[in-house]
This record gives sequence, structure tokens and C-alpha cells, in this order.
Amino acid sequence: MAGKDVQKAAQKRLKRLQDAAELKVPDRVPMMGFAGDIVAAYAGFTNYEVHFDFDKARQAAVKFLKDFPSEMTLAGLFGVNNFVPALAFSDYPDLAQGLSTISGPINDILKVSYARFPGRELSENSSSQFIGGTYMQPHEYDEYIVDPVKFSFEKILPRTSKNLENLNSPQAMATMVRAGMEMARQQNNMHNMFLDFMELGFTPPVMGFGYAPLDYIGDFLRDIPNLILDLRKYPDKVKAAVEATVEPIYKLAITAKTMGSPFVFFPIHLNEYLSPQLYKEFFWPTLKELITRLLKEGIKSHVFFEGRHDAHLETILELPKGWGIAAFEKTDVRKAKKILEGHTCVSGGLKASMMIVGTPEDNERYIMELLEELKPGGGFILSPDVLALPRETPIENLKAVYEAVEKYGYY
Amino acid sequence: MTEQLLKYFIEMNEKKAVNTAREMMTNPGEVVKVLDTCKEAMDLVGAKFENEEFFLSELICAGDIFNQIMEIVLPQLKKDSVRKVGTMVLGTVSSDVHTIGKDIFKVMAEASGIRVFDLGVDLPAEIFVEAVKKHNPDLLGMSCLITSGVEAMKVTVDALKAAGSRDNIKIIIGGGRTSESVMNYIGADAWADDAARGVRLCNELLSAKE
Repeated sequence: MAGKDVQKAAQKRLKRLQDAAELKVPDRVPMMGFAGDIVAAYAGFTNYEVHFDFDKARQAAVKFLKDFPSEMTLAGLFGVNNFVPALAFSDYPDLAQGLSTISGPINDILKVSYARFPGRELSENSSSQFIGGTYMQPHEYDEYIVDPVKFSFEKILPRTSKNLENLNSPQAMATMVRAGMEMARQQNNMHNMFLDFMELGFTPPVMGFGYAPLDYIGDFLRDIPNLILDLRKYPDKVKAAVEATVEPIYKLAITAKTMGSPFVFFPIHLNEYLSPQLYKEFFWPTLKELITRLLKEGIKSHVFFEGRHDAHLETILELPKGWGIAAFEKTDVRKAKKILEGHTCVSGGLKASMMIVGTPEDNERYIMELLEELKPGGGFILSPDVLALPRETPIENLKAVYEAVEKYGYY
Repeated sequence: MTEQLLKYFIEMNEKKAVNTAREMMTNPGEVVKVLDTCKEAMDLVGAKFENEEFFLSELICAGDIFNQIMEIVLPQLKKDSVRKVGTMVLGTVSSDVHTIGKDIFKVMAEASGIRVFDLGVDLPAEIFVEAVKKHNPDLLGMSCLITSGVEAMKVTVDALKAAGSRDNIKIIIGGGRTSESVMNYIGADAWADDAARGVRLCNELLSAKE
């Protein structure tokens, strides 16, 4: 495509997305594409190669996006949640967002114990995974509450990163310098990948990253099963810890504004674990505060409500109308759209398991029926329940889905 | 006191439940009653989860209370006095290192009387095949959270078939990526994406096997 056509295509895709987020009717239902292992396999690379060789990740993403275009994509971004350093450096916005995901090469430098990478701890075609861990004991809640940033830096960073065990050591200093150098290299590579995307007529996936405060405590401090027990054993301490976590996360999330990103992405997990009572007491108030504060600054939130969110759907209506995008995994997206119609842009519907085990005909029929029901009125984005498709996913199923969106997605 | 134990257990009142169990244990004749009441409580918790009265947090808390009481009860029970309804080999499939779902399921399965051989995570098909040969279980449970687990489960079932071990066992798959179509694709006998349903289905498979 020539320069002007490319720009037009990118603008058209962005407008689709923005119209849906603004609860308007776009020209076609926008789609968030699949990503993960399939992107590597489609280009003939191992998962290890795309995690550790950025040129290969870039080539794989471009090839995938050319053949499977979508309005939003995370293809080419391979890594694992890494919010400890992000929070520890939340006073340094130029660094913090870049630290919120850890790549293979940076993990080689930091040696983080909550991440597993292909070709390292896992076989070379495994997916990279976040496994969490217990890095704070219950008697330390008070210390964390006083200053979560200081605690994350002084206590959690050394406990989670092998090469930062002793922060005052030459080893730790060398690790920081090396991580900084690698980050600069990666950001340069990322910039080049985004230029490739723009040349193909796509808007680069520049997006801020946020975390629900209770999820931070569950993922990076106490581990989920321990935190669930803490909710009953030390409710006041957990509540105070959650409230103390809001400010550093806000500082991180608001960097989206300087990055020029209209969205902050929150992947949330503990929603499915909690009864409505516990959700309203420990989880929702601080996430709601973050979303509302970001909106006042003109930034919309894109919240991925993992697992089943059915029991908490109504709480979303407490947010201001048009606050952002509510994306769902196992929640019935039809039910969600009915409840949130005219208030919240709903995203979801694509099923990874159907892509893996279904036929092209199954997939086409499914998309046709889904869009028929969810398209009317706008405010809907088609997105996967799980972004990462396995390497073995039949390509004809991918083709069937992307073609079905073109066939049945127009208004 | 069994009523009290049951009540505290269901209310997730960990301290009172454990203390009541401890008190009951001062009478040696009550040991089996404590065990039976805890099992009844876990059954009720599972049923309440399936009715959407309880959530995963209650399953985790109930599992914690159950484990705490079992630490007191089990040393006082004679080895043969605990009736097992069946045996199961359990693990997370190759390439997947997630444990939470499997661990919640394991406590509930043990509470329902199933003897569980937990092999761990990231298990190649050969490990499952060897364990099935070694333990000769009634059930095989495979867990997966990530999408690549679907193919890993199929490879494991195929390896069991090749080893001639498939027909003697019932296979249940569990975890976020399972569904009826995935179950059919890999050739399992049941699927569950939550622990309570999983344990109920295991018991149904065991009853059908008898």
C-alpha cells in the first residue's frame, strides 16, 4: 500500500475500535486478534526463538498480521507479567511501564523466580508462564502498608530476582545496568516493529498497563491461596494493603497519557475467586477508583475480567458510562452485553478451544450466530477468551474465523 | 458436637471448626465421627459451589480447614479404617506449570474418599503412562490451564492407548481450557472446569465402574 492508503487503513481500524469503545456503531465489528504460540509456529519459529530473538518475533508478528489482520493485536509481544519492578520504580515513569512485562533476555539478566520461559526452565516449544509465589509473610503487611514502593524495592525485588538478592552488591548494580541496556535495545526493536505495523496499515498496540491492587498482592506478595485465607484471617490488614497499593499503580497507569495511549489494560484474576461480598469489600473499590481517576484524565480502561465474572457484572454499572472496555473470558458475553448495553463496551466471544478442536464450518457458523446476536447497537468488540493459541491450531480454523468476521461483521 | 463442627466448617470459621474437632478428639470414640463430619462438610461445600452460593475462595478455605483437621485426625486412625472409594493418578500435563486448580481439586477429591497419587506439573505423557502401570488406578485426572495443554492431553491419551492402559481407567480432564468438545477431541470420559464438579463426576465415574 502507498503511504496515504496505509494511513487511511490504520485510521479506519482505529476508528472502528474507538467507535465501539464510545458505544457507537462502527462500520464493522472490531476484532482483537489471537496471539501467542501460533504466531511463532506460523512463521516456522520455535517459541524459544521468538522469546529470545527479537528479529524473529518481529518477522513472525508481521507475517501473522499480514494474513490475519485485526483492529487490535498483541502478536509479537512475548513475555510474562513483571509488576514487582514496575511498582518498585513507579516514581520513574520513563522506566516503569517498560518494566511491567519481562522478556526472555531480561529474565536471563534478572532471574525472576515467578516466570518460566521456553528454552530455559521449559522445553523450547512451551508457552512462557507466570507462576507466582509467596514472597511476603503475614507479619510484614504493616511494613508494606506504610510504604508499598519501598517494600517492593527493598524486600520483594531481592526475594523474587536471584541477581538482585543483595541490592548493595556489585552484582545487583551490574544486573540493573545490564537490564537497562537490554531494555533500551528492546524498546528500539519494539519501535521498529511498530513501524512495520504502521506500514501495513495498523495502529501500533501502544497501551498502558495496570494491575488491580488485590491482584498485585495475590500474584507478587502472598500467592493466591494464602491471600484468600488472609481475607478471613487479617481482613483489616489486607484492606489497608490494597488501599496503599492504589497510588503507585495509578502513577504507573497514568504514564499511558505521556505514551499517547488512549487505553490502560488491566488483566484481573481474583474476581472469579471471590463471592460478591468479598469482591465488593476487597477487590472492586480500588479498581473502581483507578478506572475513575484515569477516566478523569481522558484515559479509558480496558479490563480483562478473567474466568467467570457473572456474579459481579452489575458492579460495572457503578462506573461512569463509556468508561472503557469490559473484556470477558468465561462469562457469557451475550448476558454481559444485555446487562451492560448502552453503558459499557463489551468484548469477548472468540473461543480458543473451538479454534483448536472445531472445524472451519463450526467456527464460521459460530461467528455468524454470535455476531447476529451481538452486533446490533454497536459497543461490541470481538475478542478471544484466551489470546494465546497453541502451535497446533489448524490454520484453516484461523482463516475461517477472520473471514467470517469480514463476511458477517459489517453493519 | 458434630452439628457444631459442621456449622463452623460451612461458615468457614476456621478457629472454631478446628477447636471443635480437637475437643471431639479427646474422646477416642469420636475420631471417625470427626472424619465423617468433615467429609460431609466438604460435600456440602462442593454442592454449594455448584449452586453458585460459594466461590473459589470458599473451596480454598474449606480445603485449608479440612487439611488442618486431618493433621489431627489421621495419626489417630488405624490404617485400614479409612474407606477409600477409589484411586486416582493426577497431574498437570506437559509444558504447563500451573498448580492452583489441581491442588484445590486434590483436597476435595481426597475428602470425598479418593486416594490421589499427585504426580506434579509439566508431566510428559510417559510419566502418566508409567504411573498408571504402577498404581493401577480407577481414574486418571489431567489438568491444564494454558491452551497448549489440549494437545498435551491428547498426546497422553494416545500414549495410554499405545501402552494398552487406556481401557482399564476412566479419564477426567480439568482446568480452564476444557470443554465437552475438548473432551471428545482428546478421548476422555469426563471434563470439569471447576473442582467441585470434577469431584462429583469422579464419584459418578467410580459408581458406574462398580
